[in-house]
Amino acid sequence: MPDTFYTAAPHWTWYIVAYFFIGGIAGTAFLLAASLHFFSRPGDRPLVRIGYYVAFVGAVLSGILLIVDLNRPERFWHMMIESNTGRPMFKSWVPMSVGVWGVLLFGLFSFLAALSVTGEDRPGWRFTRWAPVRALGGRVPAAIIAVLGALFGLFLAGYTGVLLSVTNRPIWADSNLLGLLFLVSGASTGAATLYLLARRRGVGTPASLAWLSWFDERVLVLELLVLIAFLVSLGPVAEVLVGWWGVLLLGVVVAGIAVPLWLVHGSRGGHRAVQAAVLVLIGGFLLRVVVILSSHDIYVWGSGVARP
Amino acid sequence: MAECHPVAFRWPMKAKVEHDAKLIHVDPRFTRTSAMCDIHAPIRAGTDIAFLGGLINYVLNSERWNSDPFFREYLLNYTNAATLVSREFRGTEELEGVFSGLMEYKGNEADWPYDGFVGSYQSTTWQYEGWRPEEPGEPRGGEELSQPTRVEPQARTSPQESFESVIRSLRQPPPRRDETLQHPRCVLQILRRHFRRYTPEMVEQVTGCPPETFLRVAETVLANSGRERTTAWAYAVGWTQHTYGPQMIGCCALLQLLLGNIGRPGGGILALRGHASIQGSTDVPTLYHSIHGYMPAMSALKSHETLRQYLATEALGGGYWANMPQFVVSYLKSMYGDAATPENDFGYDWHPKITGDHSHMPVFLAMADGRVKGMLCIGQNPATSLNASLERAGMRRLEWLVVRDNFLTESATYWYNSPEVREGTVSAADIPTEVFFFPTAQVAESEGSFTNTQRMLQWHFKAADPPGQCRDDLWFTYQLGLRLKRLYAGSPLERDQGIRNLVWDYEPDHPESIPGGADPRKILREIAGYRTGDPSRHLEGPHELRDDGSTTCASWIYCGAFPAPDELLPASREPDPPDTIGAHLRWGWAWPANRRVIYNRASADPSGRPWSERKRWVWWDGKEWVGYDIPDFPNRKSPDAPAEPRGLGLDAHSGRQPFILKPDGVGWLFNPAGLLDGPLPTHYEPMESPVRNALYKQQTSPVLKYWKHAANQTAVVGDERFPYVITTYRLTEHYLAGAMSRWNPWLTELMPELFIELSPELAAEKGIGNTDWVRIETPRGSIRAKALVTRRMRPFRLGDRVVHQVGMPWHWGWEGVVTGDVVNELTALVGDPNVSIHEGKAFVCNVEKG
Amino acid sequence: MAEAMGFYTDTTVCIGCKACEVACKSWNQLPAGGGGDWPMTGDSYDNTRRLDGIHWRHVKFIEQIPEDRSEGRWLMMSDVCKHCVQAGCLEVCPTGAIIRTEFDTVVIQSDACNGCRLCIAACPFGVIDINPASNTAQKCTLCYDRMQAGLEPACSKACPTDSIRFGPIAEMRKMAEARVQQLHALGEKRAYLYGADEKIVGGLNSFYLLVDEPEVYGLPRDPKLPSRNLLPSSLISAAGAVLLSLLALAGLRKQRMDERAAGDGAGPDA
Ligand SMILES: Nc1nc2c(c(=O)[nH]1)N[C@H]1C(S)=C(S)[C@@H](COP(=O)(O)OP(=O)(O)OC[C@H]3O[C@@H](n4cnc5c(=O)[nH]c(N)nc54)[C@H](O)[C@@H]3O)O[C@H]1N2
Ligand SMILES: Nc1nc2c(c(=O)[nH]1)N[C@H]1C(S)=C(S)[C@@H](COP(=O)(O)OP(=O)(O)OC[C@H]3O[C@@H](n4cnc5c(=O)[nH]c(N)nc54)[C@H](O)[C@@H]3O)O[C@H]1N2
Ligand code: SF4
Ligand code: SF4
Ligand code: SF4
Ligand code: SF4
Ligand code: SF4
Ligand SMILES: [Mo]
Repeated sequence: MPDTFYTAAPHWTWYIVAYFFIGGIAGTAFLLAASLHFFSRPGDRPLVRIGYYVAFVGAVLSGILLIVDLNRPERFWHMMIESNTGRPMFKSWVPMSVGVWGVLLFGLFSFLAALSVTGEDRPGWRFTRWAPVRALGGRVPAAIIAVLGALFGLFLAGYTGVLLSVTNRPIWADSNLLGLLFLVSGASTGAATLYLLARRRGVGTPASLAWLSWFDERVLVLELLVLIAFLVSLGPVAEVLVGWWGVLLLGVVVAGIAVPLWLVHGSRGGHRAVQAAVLVLIGGFLLRVVVILSSHDIYVWGSGVARP
Repeated sequence: MAECHPVAFRWPMKAKVEHDAKLIHVDPRFTRTSAMCDIHAPIRAGTDIAFLGGLINYVLNSERWNSDPFFREYLLNYTNAATLVSREFRGTEELEGVFSGLMEYKGNEADWPYDGFVGSYQSTTWQYEGWRPEEPGEPRGGEELSQPTRVEPQARTSPQESFESVIRSLRQPPPRRDETLQHPRCVLQILRRHFRRYTPEMVEQVTGCPPETFLRVAETVLANSGRERTTAWAYAVGWTQHTYGPQMIGCCALLQLLLGNIGRPGGGILALRGHASIQGSTDVPTLYHSIHGYMPAMSALKSHETLRQYLATEALGGGYWANMPQFVVSYLKSMYGDAATPENDFGYDWHPKITGDHSHMPVFLAMADGRVKGMLCIGQNPATSLNASLERAGMRRLEWLVVRDNFLTESATYWYNSPEVREGTVSAADIPTEVFFFPTAQVAESEGSFTNTQRMLQWHFKAADPPGQCRDDLWFTYQLGLRLKRLYAGSPLERDQGIRNLVWDYEPDHPESIPGGADPRKILREIAGYRTGDPSRHLEGPHELRDDGSTTCASWIYCGAFPAPDELLPASREPDPPDTIGAHLRWGWAWPANRRVIYNRASADPSGRPWSERKRWVWWDGKEWVGYDIPDFPNRKSPDAPAEPRGLGLDAHSGRQPFILKPDGVGWLFNPAGLLDGPLPTHYEPMESPVRNALYKQQTSPVLKYWKHAANQTAVVGDERFPYVITTYRLTEHYLAGAMSRWNPWLTELMPELFIELSPELAAEKGIGNTDWVRIETPRGSIRAKALVTRRMRPFRLGDRVVHQVGMPWHWGWEGVVTGDVVNELTALVGDPNVSIHEGKAFVCNVEKG
Repeated sequence: MAEAMGFYTDTTVCIGCKACEVACKSWNQLPAGGGGDWPMTGDSYDNTRRLDGIHWRHVKFIEQIPEDRSEGRWLMMSDVCKHCVQAGCLEVCPTGAIIRTEFDTVVIQSDACNGCRLCIAACPFGVIDINPASNTAQKCTLCYDRMQAGLEPACSKACPTDSIRFGPIAEMRKMAEARVQQLHALGEKRAYLYGADEKIVGGLNSFYLLVDEPEVYGLPRDPKLPSRNLLPSSLISAAGAVLLSLLALAGLRKQRMDERAAGDGAGPDA
């Protein structure tokens, strides 16, 4: 039996699933918005803004989910300040430790980004006319925010998988591709989210929408490849996915990747693209459910493996 | 032993790890003990005599035993192998499984119809040749006789006669012997004939133990006995709880004598006693049939009319028991103090006498017949005890019941919470009993002494005050005594003289130290003895006891435990220095006289030299007996001191006779007297068995105890309704009826539910899966438990048929953090004739899924 | 640092009495599972089943009895935190709640732990879990409090057969090696030490004498540190990040090209 099977599960369940899902969306949404920011035409601004808003809201939600998931939420700050010495707490070799700061900084930049663009939406709001805030919208600051935010966004979307891998749990620690997998599926879900919101609000030029679907299509292909590579990398461990988890995973592949691919492929926008985006979101969510909970199910009982 | 005496098991494990000792476990189940042993010999419950008989047969016919001079020397000098037995004796070979003297039981059915014997033996014909026979047909109340009753019609003792002359009248001539061991009536030849049938094939047929396993045990035991090596046997209730329990132990003692393993270091047969201090509770007896120091209780059924007649009936002319007058008189002085005078036979007439079998089972049957008014239930939980529903039926007829316990036990709540009440078959309203519950102090909340399984007294001090109003049992008993004495103080009645004269002076010198309580040291002082009239002059040992009333001592075996007011030996805690051989004589105090190995004179050869360097223990250094232990022998009696033909007591023994309690000074392979169910161990089937006795026509013990009662039915041999052998036992995680463990979550989480252990083979037959609910039925009752299906249980192949064995721990009841059915709903009230122990270890049942 | 202290557990003399389990609970005042009342597992005599936040010791029972009942074995082993020389739990704890003591043991400071539960997933032996009483991660402290007072740990003190031995780890190793020799001499060739040397996460300060494969006792054959995956995972993810960024930008660039080609701002759909 693989060595990782003799370990205990950390009870990371729905909060974490949700966090990983939202974090992925937020991070990549920022990336896409930032990219668009540089090439932006007036017509694209609304989409950029949506991207930033999504990123900011996502960052806030991520922070909340992280904290409420703790058994002692009131001690969340122990991760940033060593409680008994008062010294800053940072372990470069521990994704969770790095992640805490990452989320914090991403929160910061997504906040600044959102702040910098609010004026475009709500000229009426006082604070948007406040000098420092206006300054944020300036060419250089905006660019810096976009670049750094995108960096941390990518980090947020990807480190969650690395965090799982840097443990001793089955499936998680049995592969090095989890970070990549989450990153890629984060990208697909991020793009899908933006696409849906844009369509809903009727903003974004057809060109940029097309770009989103174009991007999504490529990313989905990538995701499929990474997922296969991931399963292969699991080796014998993969067998625990045989059974209901396997069925779910198949669901992810078919409903969350294959079908959307078929739908978006060559679709000139329209309903099919929307359906595709919805399926991608569901698929991305299920992927995290499967990866996190399937491992969770494995305990060593007495002298053998059993289910709790 | 690992399961029930885990702390004591430390030593076998030490022996195994540090000295490569071989460990063997004989048990129907593969237990945690088996897991630690080199050999596990599985046998069907109840068949140990067949197994041990097989070992004896193997030894008697082995080349080594018959050639190695050690065995012959030990046998000739230290056992009664050469002694000739009476001409009239007939053994099981001639009588198809019974001994001569079997007759119908003539008990006192009238006023105490609870003795239960299905038959009884007249042991006249078991006597040594030339010894005066026992009184014919003397009815017995089931007392265990700690020594043969030899005889002289007691009427002859006159009130004036000195105790010494009474004892003198009891002397027996030295028994006739055949040193060549060839005489057909010498004990060894009788043994050879008796155990001829116990062949390995027969062992397999009866016990179901695979022959190769049996032979491995036999070879190991023989190989580990002799001059250089000794084998020890330890047993507990796996051997006692049978209708022939004492015979099982006797059978092992016989084997150990044959192998020269008695009285030597690393030898012996070790009883692993039960409750902490249960040893103490039999020494200072809570047993109905003996008084202190294993002296038989005064009985209305024997010629015990006067003190002299009691002595004439129970004492011995030869051997240490010749000192019985000193013991009894000192005991009576401890009871009645100044009121006990030579003129009134030291108050002998005031002493209560038993009128039959007053042990646990009969008393509860009498209760069920409404013959018992009230009960003080102190530290016991009978509501879950044998044939529990019958015992509860008895308790429902009490007028009053006092329960003293640390927990609200089943025995305190049976009247409103027992199954029958909850099921509505009995209504609490119809139960007249008034129940008083006294929450009790725990042992750590009181001071006193424990006597452990090694006969060692250890003093324990009070660690904490009991909560609230809880008082320890000593406080309660002392106060009860004071109040009763006050109640009877003015009584003119002759029969109340006893309680009026009873000495009850345990008031602590500083009463404030134990408010209202008694001083445990004063009680130990009374037990261990002092000079009458001067309690500050304690006694050094039994040799100081006198029969003129000048010494006061309740228990001769404890005499010396408290030799001076400032020498509380049970409190001493001085181990021998590391890496020295010794008996740790300064750690606690063991009776008798702080000896750690009894009959240890046998650890030296007849001439007094150690049998071997490895096995030296006590030896003769030319002037006196010396060694690691206190010699169990007159200190300056040289090995070549001859027996004095006219001598009394130990003078009747030579310097080569180690078994000082025996009238003839040697170990008994054959018991001319003392046992009610035969002079030699014989395999019988349990009262309930699925199979016929393969060895004899006689199925069960011809003299076992069975109490007829509508609620005490038993299954006939091979009853198809109850095809499986069931045994009951303990788990390390729980304690007895469970009050002491089932209220402790740290223990209950370890073993939460009642279960039945059964083999996968039987489970498959019955369609029972692991942890399924199972219903278990016997003619007495029906309970449910979870199944624990395990290969640690095995089907036994007996000749051409397979018998399934199941087992259940019996710790559950309806009170506590975890609850479960009461296993004793299944057991029957059947007992052994000598000590009335129940047969909780082997009976039959049926199991069904559900 | 003072001398490294720890346990040598000789499973061949464990009688499965669970005194260690109870002594630990009693000393550390740990609650009982299910308040003491939970269903039996049917897994031999093991009803607590694993180490967790309220079971810092756990006695395993492994029945090895063939159908013909020849040569049956019932292995017992008292499991506990291994106090690894390279401790996965300590490595990952993001609050610094887990420390290494002067006795080279590994201790969780309950007052610093915020219950992120990373250590649970990081321990290669599945030792840690949440103790509902404190709502923090807990495990064996190797009786740090007793050791500081010069006392032996409660569990080893309670062990009637000295299956659990406590002392300077160097001494423990000598003792253990001698025992292995003895068992080999007696024909028990399967006896070996698990975790006595550096091979297993730098050595275990609670190591075992076993007579069967590690897996049989529910122990990993070759446990590793969580950090082994850090570099590869990070690099691969980083590469992915770069790829994604390029893809996004490339997509846009392509867009603009196409548009220029198309001459005006009209998108494809126009
Ligand atoms: N943990 C714990 N320890 C205890 C106790 C307790 O309740 N719990 N009780 C104490 C008391 S009061 C006593 S009396 C002792 C009893 O100590 P033990 O006698 O050891 O206790 P049991 O478990 O009743 O029986 C021992 C074994 O006898 C086996 N057995 C059953 N029938 C037979 C048979 O016919 N022949 C043979 N050879 N074996 C048989 C059973 O399978 C069981 O494994 O333990 C004392 N110690
Ligand atoms: N089927 C079956 N039946 C058996 C046996 C078996 O093996 N199988 N074993 C038999 C044997 S060997 C025995 S010893 C009996 C035991 O049977 P019991 O003695 O009836 O059962 P226990 O649970 O030992 O009862 C002892 C009670 O004393 C209480 N107690 C503890 N300390 C104190 C104290 O200091 N003062 C007072 N007043 N109370 C205290 C405990 O709480 C407990 O309730 O069971 C017998 N019954
Ligand atoms: S319960 Fe007490 S008496 Fe029994 S083994 Fe444990 S320590 Fe000894
Ligand atoms: S065994 Fe697990 S919990 Fe114990 S020190 Fe090692 S990693 Fe930490
Ligand atoms: S749960 Fe507590 S001890 Fe474990 S890693 Fe998190 S903070 Fe550290
Ligand atoms: S060392 Fe202390 S904390 Fe660790 S298991 Fe033993 S008793 Fe429990
Ligand atoms: S106390 Fe010792 S013998 Fe008992 S289970 Fe624990 S380790 Fe084994
Ligand atoms: Mo007992």
